Amino acid sequence: MMVAEDNGSFGRRSATSRAGFFKKLYTEYGQEIVILGAIIVLLIVVGSYNPRFLSVRNLNTIFAGNAYIAVAAIGMSMVIITGHIDVSVGALIGVLATISGTIAVSGYPVWLAWLAPVVIGAAINMVVGILVAYARIPSIVVTLGMMSILRGGLISVTGGDWISGLPKSFMISQLKPFGVPAPIYFMVALTLLAAFWMRYSAFGRSLYAMGGNAEAARATGIPIERRTMIVFMIHGAFAGLATILFATQLQIIQSTVPPNLELTVITAAVIGGVSILGGTGTVIGSTFAAILFATIGSALIFTNVSAYWLRAVIGTLILVTVLVDVMRRRNKR
Amino acid sequence: MHKIMITTVLSMSLAAGVAHAQQSSWTGGDDLPTNPLACDGTPAEVAAMPYDGGTPTDAPDRMGKTLTVVDIPKLVGIGYFSATSKGIADAAAEMGTMDVKTDGPTRANIDDQITLIDNYITSGVDGILYAANDPVAIAPVLKKALAAGINVVGYDANSEPDSRQWFVNQAQFNGIAKSVIDNLSDEIGEDGAFAIVTSTFTTPNQARWIAEMAAYQQKCHPDMEWLETVEAQEDNILSFNQANTLINKYGPDLKGIVGMTSVATPAAADAVTQAGLCGSVAVVGLATPNAMKPYVEADCVKSVVLWNPVDLGYAAAYVLRATADGTLKPGDTSVEAGKLGELSVINGSEVLLGAPFVYNKSNINNFDF
Repeated sequence: MMVAEDNGSFGRRSATSRAGFFKKLYTEYGQEIVILGAIIVLLIVVGSYNPRFLSVRNLNTIFAGNAYIAVAAIGMSMVIITGHIDVSVGALIGVLATISGTIAVSGYPVWLAWLAPVVIGAAINMVVGILVAYARIPSIVVTLGMMSILRGGLISVTGGDWISGLPKSFMISQLKPFGVPAPIYFMVALTLLAAFWMRYSAFGRSLYAMGGNAEAARATGIPIERRTMIVFMIHGAFAGLATILFATQLQIIQSTVPPNLELTVITAAVIGGVSILGGTGTVIGSTFAAILFATIGSALIFTNVSAYWLRAVIGTLILVTVLVDVMRRRNKR
Repeated sequence: MHKIMITTVLSMSLAAGVAHAQQSSWTGGDDLPTNPLACDGTPAEVAAMPYDGGTPTDAPDRMGKTLTVVDIPKLVGIGYFSATSKGIADAAAEMGTMDVKTDGPTRANIDDQITLIDNYITSGVDGILYAANDPVAIAPVLKKALAAGINVVGYDANSEPDSRQWFVNQAQFNGIAKSVIDNLSDEIGEDGAFAIVTSTFTTPNQARWIAEMAAYQQKCHPDMEWLETVEAQEDNILSFNQANTLINKYGPDLKGIVGMTSVATPAAADAVTQAGLCGSVAVVGLATPNAMKPYVEADCVKSVVLWNPVDLGYAAAYVLRATADGTLKPGDTSVEAGKLGELSVINGSEVLLGAPFVYNKSNINNFDF
């Protein structure tokens, strides 16, 4: 797993030996490799039990199934890496989906219906970011409040009505370029973009410093308040992108959000190796984790194992991941 | 290294689970006793239960007189209760002896509802129709109405039995179950295989419906194959994914998917639509008409099972009239309800609306909820 101090060294290091390379790869991307391994093991084991599990159709279902969660988890990972949390993202996605759908059925061009959730998501989270960064209110408090506002507002405004009659051109998630569902392209491209940005840009790298040791980061001249606010805005924009995938999958947009969506997104980040204490982790890990959830969910159906196992397995993964993270930090001290 | 070990243990336990997995016949229903209806639609034998409703104190003789009635639904301004109000108004217009007005809270709030009922008791009405926001909390104010000699009849959402005279029950679990399975067998045939997408195995209504569906299917359509039941919370994308996974797992063997909620049914229909399987995989389910219109209009879904809220309100108005007239008394086993005909009394003091309503292409656009 990456730590703040050696962050960025991977790209510059010259490979001395093959063994050293793999060791380094494992120390830096341990969690990502473990999760990727788990996905591959599951695919092989369940695929040999029932070959239909590995059919193109089912692989599409698995990889596209949680794409919107993976995209939302990118922004969430950034927020957690800087030492904060956001429990309002589920409600935010619900609100943005209703806004996007309303624009789409009101006859405006569809690009506006796609752009609106991204811009409005960033704007709403700018408020959160200002309250966290400048007013110094803990992010859990700010986002809990925001969650209530958004949920309550959504039900009040929509009256529980659903949006239907969405134009066909709006349904970007239903596209399948080259036989691959569009959400998969979004998930892969956005994950890679964010991963490179966080690894190689000065701004991206400063997120780790801010989450690892805010005072030390401040001493090196990082404008912590401004960057915290911007991170929340970026997170809001990713929530908007996740909304596009979420809202364009089905012909109906509900005024309710999947229950515990924010927890699923946070869980993807944490299991993906983002330390809940801030300072470490990558968005590649959170995307792998979102895919892992979908793989486990599908595997349970294919093997006739009770779905209760999904919760038990994910719960175990959370505890193990956090425990390992805490133990590692204690050992370093 | 810790993590490698832990992951290995986890994968092994998962793999062990896979190895031990067996085709289970468990359907996802609850363990309560079931009471499947007769296959041919003969009404169920009603076990006689003593009347457990309340009685108004010193009610005047209202036989044939014009009644002033207030209808207090859970809330106003939503399609569902607009439909029940319409049914009540239709019945009142048909009878010509009922002045009815609907007045409900603007949000589903029990305190607002109690205040409203209290106000109407003070202002003086002959009858109150209600759909309770809370069965227990509403009881005292309804008892107050009975004590003031007002006839009280509930519909849609019950209160404690002794706080009202009658309750019009929109659907029984075994009735819904019969309708779902009968419609499914019409679409996929007597030997078709199907799977269920529900909210969670522990959601009380869904678990009850599923248990009754399993019992009725065993009894009346024994050759249909119940493949499995999957959970999808109340999550539309998860419902979509689960329906897709069922399609992927069973391939052409899967002939039908049943959705148990207004979230699961449209999502399953969307999965079938996007897979290009409309016509090969039937979707039947419990859902509100608005949620299903796109799929019904596209001919991908043929039957959506629910009760008809217009009929529900209509029946409630007739039950209130019969109660005020004294033609529906404790101990009666049926009541005349206009165009709906004879409705049976069940559970002591409830009137059953009858078989559920099936929404299809010909009627779904008449409803907006």
